[in-house]
Amino acid sequence: MIKMSARSDCSKREATLIRTLAVVFALVTVSFFIMILGHNPISVYISMMDGAFGTGYRLLETLRKSVPLIITSIGISLAFRLKFWNIGAEGQIMMGAMGAAFIALNFPQLPAIILLPLMAFTAMISGGIWGLIPAYFKARWKTNETIFTLMMNYIALKFITYLQYGPWKDPAALGFPKIPNFSQNAVLPDIFGLHAGWVIAIILVILSHIFINYTQPGYEIEVVGGSENTGRYAGMNVNKIIILTIFASGSICGLSGMIEASGVNRTLSVEITRGVGYTAIITSWLSYLKAPVIPIVCILFASMIQGGTFIQMAFQIPQSAAQILQGAILFFVLGSEFFIRYKISFVKQNIPEA
Amino acid sequence: MDASFFTAAVVAGTPLLYAILGEVITEKAGNLNLGVEGMMLIGAVVGFKVALITQNPWLSLGGAMIAGGIAALIYALLTVSLRANQVVTGLTLTIFGTGFSSFMGKNLMGEVVPDNIKLAFADFPLPLLSHIPVLGQVFFNQGILVYGGYIATILAGLYLYNTQIGLNLRAVGENTAAADAAGIKVSLYKYIHIIIGGVLCGLAGAYLSLVYIPSWQENVTAGRGWIAVALVIFCKWNPYRVLVGAFLFGGLDIIGFRLQKYSFYISQYLIDMLPYLVTIIILIVVSARKSISGLPPANLGDSYFREER
Amino acid sequence: MKKLTIIFTLVLSLAIAFSSCGKKSPKSADGKEVVMGFIYVGPIGDGGWTYAHEQGRKYVEQETGIRTIFKESVPEGAEVKEVVRNMIDQGATIIAATSFGYMDYIEEIAKEYPNVKFIHCSGYKMGPNMGNYFGRIEQPRYLSGIVAGMKTKTNKIGYVAAFEIPEVIRGINAFTLGVRSVNPKAEVHVRWTHTWYDPAREKEAAKALLDEKCDVIAQHQDTAGPQQAAEERGVFSIGYNSDMSKMAPKAYMTAPIWNWGPYYVDQVKKVMAGTWKPESYWEGMNADIVRLAPLTKNAPDGAEAKVEEIKKKILAGTFNVFSGPIKDQKGKVRVPAGAVMSDEEQLSCNWFVEGVVGTIKGK
Repeated sequence: MIKMSARSDCSKREATLIRTLAVVFALVTVSFFIMILGHNPISVYISMMDGAFGTGYRLLETLRKSVPLIITSIGISLAFRLKFWNIGAEGQIMMGAMGAAFIALNFPQLPAIILLPLMAFTAMISGGIWGLIPAYFKARWKTNETIFTLMMNYIALKFITYLQYGPWKDPAALGFPKIPNFSQNAVLPDIFGLHAGWVIAIILVILSHIFINYTQPGYEIEVVGGSENTGRYAGMNVNKIIILTIFASGSICGLSGMIEASGVNRTLSVEITRGVGYTAIITSWLSYLKAPVIPIVCILFASMIQGGTFIQMAFQIPQSAAQILQGAILFFVLGSEFFIRYKISFVKQNIPEA
Repeated sequence: MDASFFTAAVVAGTPLLYAILGEVITEKAGNLNLGVEGMMLIGAVVGFKVALITQNPWLSLGGAMIAGGIAALIYALLTVSLRANQVVTGLTLTIFGTGFSSFMGKNLMGEVVPDNIKLAFADFPLPLLSHIPVLGQVFFNQGILVYGGYIATILAGLYLYNTQIGLNLRAVGENTAAADAAGIKVSLYKYIHIIIGGVLCGLAGAYLSLVYIPSWQENVTAGRGWIAVALVIFCKWNPYRVLVGAFLFGGLDIIGFRLQKYSFYISQYLIDMLPYLVTIIILIVVSARKSISGLPPANLGDSYFREER
Repeated sequence: MKKLTIIFTLVLSLAIAFSSCGKKSPKSADGKEVVMGFIYVGPIGDGGWTYAHEQGRKYVEQETGIRTIFKESVPEGAEVKEVVRNMIDQGATIIAATSFGYMDYIEEIAKEYPNVKFIHCSGYKMGPNMGNYFGRIEQPRYLSGIVAGMKTKTNKIGYVAAFEIPEVIRGINAFTLGVRSVNPKAEVHVRWTHTWYDPAREKEAAKALLDEKCDVIAQHQDTAGPQQAAEERGVFSIGYNSDMSKMAPKAYMTAPIWNWGPYYVDQVKKVMAGTWKPESYWEGMNADIVRLAPLTKNAPDGAEAKVEEIKKKILAGTFNVFSGPIKDQKGKVRVPAGAVMSDEEQLSCNWFVEGVVGTIKGK
């Protein structure tokens, strides 16, 4: 019979090898798919990479797409460490963007030095509160956070839609549902050709790494994430840890929303997130919640998206090919986890002597 | 507002009905499959494609259901045998399904469902039942897939609450370790019921692409898969309640156009929030009261390891 | 790890080498290759608005031989700027943005790329390198109104409309004026969907109208959803953007449609000759940018003749669809007898004519 046992002997090298193999298998599988549909998979993959990195402009676009992914992934990884399945990043980004937009639209004349930090602050509070609500109920009554946070996403989306089509509609747009553009003061400045968000992203990655690995609260999160009871026996205030951590998680996602609204879109609209809240779940998972790995995985994912856009225009291959690729890679990596965590052996069944 | 609104509500609610039933069955087995939207989209595109190729209504449905089942099989393989995280796997399935459906659908743009298929799924009144005043017009003058929805609901209810297998299934979701110790083949139950869930979601998708909007559209589900996941909770994992939930929210989905006639104005977007708000309230109330009837299956979302029992 | 890095670098270099292959386009007067980019708000298979532009794009390729690129389903938000940058990165020298909601974003990005020409469809903003273009679709709308007015028996005509912007309101008004010119008792009921492209919602809105006994459905939407809803109920419909006879053969009667190709060719030729200047183009049936699709056998007897009669007058310039007297919904005279609604009034129109049943919210 087949016996499965947990293994602790899987070396880092072996693990990376297994995961890389998984990615390769995914690429090969999708190639068959591409071939059946009449395209040459090699040229498709090469074009995707060309589209993502081939020129200075394209590289910039890839990086621009990776910024919200990195920041949101950092936020989500914080929650996931607590085994709090924060599916609500999408909504937290939106509420953050909404908070920032509220400030930008109501105080457009404030100088940027004051306006931008104020927007960021409001965004972080809004996103934090949005995460806090499900966290409170989880702490208090163990309410299932997976579904709760998911529902919060839709409420946030519908609320922004309501604002865009109603109270915040731009009267100058003559009836077309659009929120007015932010004033110039509310726009994040560029640093080396890309909006300042990338600097914030790097800072967050470093801070997150230090926080988790070298501070007391970071340690507490690890313990409670492993087992709430262990945390309680050790005298930790588990409820407080859950609530504060998820607030932080939500506020980081909210900051991502402010950066997108201010640095990229210069306004607020229902399309503000472009699905980053969900993609970031995947990237933080693939990064094993480790802050230094997150930028690498996020840039890779962003390159798939940018590459997908490129081949769509250049070769009429639908954008959806990039989604299929992402899905396939993730399926294989998820499956490969099993082989890293468990050892399969065939054991002869011992038949007792008669 | 007359009976025609309710008739339309039943039609709008039918895809939700199948999807919610599918996810209820999956979750009763202890697995949370967030890939409903993806499975519906896969069913929608495969169903439509088969319809164009074969011009046969039943083959089209069959194709959609098989496709949904295969998508669910991928999820089952990953979460049951390979012990992958259910939430992430489900989300991946949705991303994959959305991409797959969009990709396959590129060449289907602008195509219309063949006439004979439209005819097969068209409304027809049930003898006797359709003559009941008001209710007859609303519930019993519909297409065959709507009637199928009623039957599926009743079958699911009987299965879960009145059969031994159904009891075993509930045990698997409530207390996997005990079910295993009692000799129930946990993995087999999970596989089969996850696949059944996928089959129903595929059917829901096919309803959308073949009947509801009989020409191909990108993103034909428009988020209905997520509403279905929410409504599983609203319906407290009980198939009979799914009828109520599906038709109620089908109605809320379309009420905006009917209300435009009247002078008071509730933004359609605020109405759109209702399924999600209501689900949250139910979630909170149930967990606060810890009442048994409304709780999810206790082992929902857990991967089962016999070795760690 | 080192091996992987080497392989990766090799592949990347190959990729960059490959990127320079591709079809070359005719050049413009200043020696640069002319490439035209098209930004679509919906999919080219919508059988309606985007499909019509796509026909125009194919016509341009045929007639001028230039290379074109396009991107579908671009939402009316900031993403369009990224699409523009991507297109310019791929060599685009003239870009057509085919939906109203792109306007402000195109205005902004046009300033960043002064050497690229931008033309924006259905908008009203201009710039040193940005023009706008549209057609007087109101003329064929009026004609289609005649057909609908003659066909209806319940005297209730349904109109599924997207957004409460002047362009849509104008269309409803022209249609209603046409209806009432042959059938003074008929009413046009309006439902708003708040989307250009969503067949399911468009169909549901049509169903709501049909449930109120409308027996002809017209639309200002991008897909044939409302046409199909009408067909399912056994009644009739007027399409929009493209000939929708294939989508709803038993219901569809005719449609006001677009013919963008010749205008695109004109713009490209001007870029090639170096004579391109931003303009605000708004011509009608006499320039053939808008047409009425052929009437099907579903159209009522006598409609063809009546339509031809009015069409001749429009082409000759002796009849303006917005000529007075025109009253609004409250009965107030907005355009007196003998006068004509000016272009400015048309472009900012935010009231309905008498005979329309519906409200413009948020006024």
